[in-house]
Amino acid sequence: MNENQLLIETIESNNLWEKEIEISRNEYLKVKGSIDTNLYFVKNGSLRIFIVDEYEEHTIRFGYKDNLIVSLDSFLNEKPSDFYIQALKKSTIKVMSKTSFFDLLNSSNKFHSCWPKLVEQLILQQIEREKDILTSSPIERYKRVLKRSPQLFQEIPNKHIANYLRMTPETLSRIKKS
Amino acid sequence: MVITTVDLEADLIERTRVNLNKVEKIKTLSKKEIEFKENSDKWSALECIAHLNLYADFYNPVIKKSIENSNTKPNEKFKSGMIGNYFVKTIEPKKKLNKMKTPKDKDPSNLSFDLNQIEKFISQQKEFLEFIELSKNIDLTKTKTAISLTKLFKMRLGDTFRFLVAHNERHLMQAENAIKVYNQ
Repeated sequence: MNENQLLIETIESNNLWEKEIEISRNEYLKVKGSIDTNLYFVKNGSLRIFIVDEYEEHTIRFGYKDNLIVSLDSFLNEKPSDFYIQALKKSTIKVMSKTSFFDLLNSSNKFHSCWPKLVEQLILQQIEREKDILTSSPIERYKRVLKRSPQLFQEIPNKHIANYLRMTPETLSRIKKS
Repeated sequence: MVITTVDLEADLIERTRVNLNKVEKIKTLSKKEIEFKENSDKWSALECIAHLNLYADFYNPVIKKSIENSNTKPNEKFKSGMIGNYFVKTIEPKKKLNKMKTPKDKDPSNLSFDLNQIEKFISQQKEFLEFIELSKNIDLTKTKTAISLTKLFKMRLGDTFRFLVAHNERHLMQAENAIKVYNQ
């Protein structure tokens, strides 16, 4: 079991989620400018994290069933974040505050050692994402993401995957067919 | 009223999130529900949103200009003006929504609108959130904006923000009521 699973199972079995919220399709869990230090667990549904640049939206991450999602910048530095988090379909989200999460981490050595591991995973994921963005060929970008997260293509509408891959939906469907 | 700027911003942002979610919910309804008018004097949900867009059409450029032209430094505190605060309090919806008069140029009921008004509202709210972000570099008390009602008075930017959020809340409550009546 990896650190992620260990933590989630511990939180589940000890009932440490503080609340469960339902959000409808297209509703916002978070908008630009707010400080959001919560840890979210997607019980079901799917969400996207995006930023708005000159009125254009850039999707930077997705969350679907059984994923943890956070507004990572706010979660780490407790400052306002530019991220929007929006439901892509009706979703049920479990919520835990950063404080309770760190209380759990500090409660035993076993959990305490999870944190550096989690951060390590996050940094590695960010590096993969950075490579995506620096990859100039749309086909290569598609292949990288397909290899890394095949499930993404089951869970998320094409339009949003295309945005994440920095290509038009038409280009994405052409690549998928070829 | 004096409030820390950080608290004011957090409050405006959270209320804007709630307003956005209300409109995203309305967007999922049928055309019939959205365009339903209880009678010719009452507005449909779509007309409520179109009315808010008429305000944003006026205020968004005004706010943008006032932020760009402001030579002030950020201030930890915001102090509401007497008249500004009065406007905000007047526009805030009561529990049971009270009726108010609409200026002729902001009356949506004689115009026709399409469902694009909903998308327009959503993008104008995102623009509003950008303004809150940009306003972190200036003083919300010392920076003034024009208002739509009269040229004789300029409002503190912080009060203009508060007014617009409360005004959105008022008419989205009205929009929800219109939909409730349809479903009765």
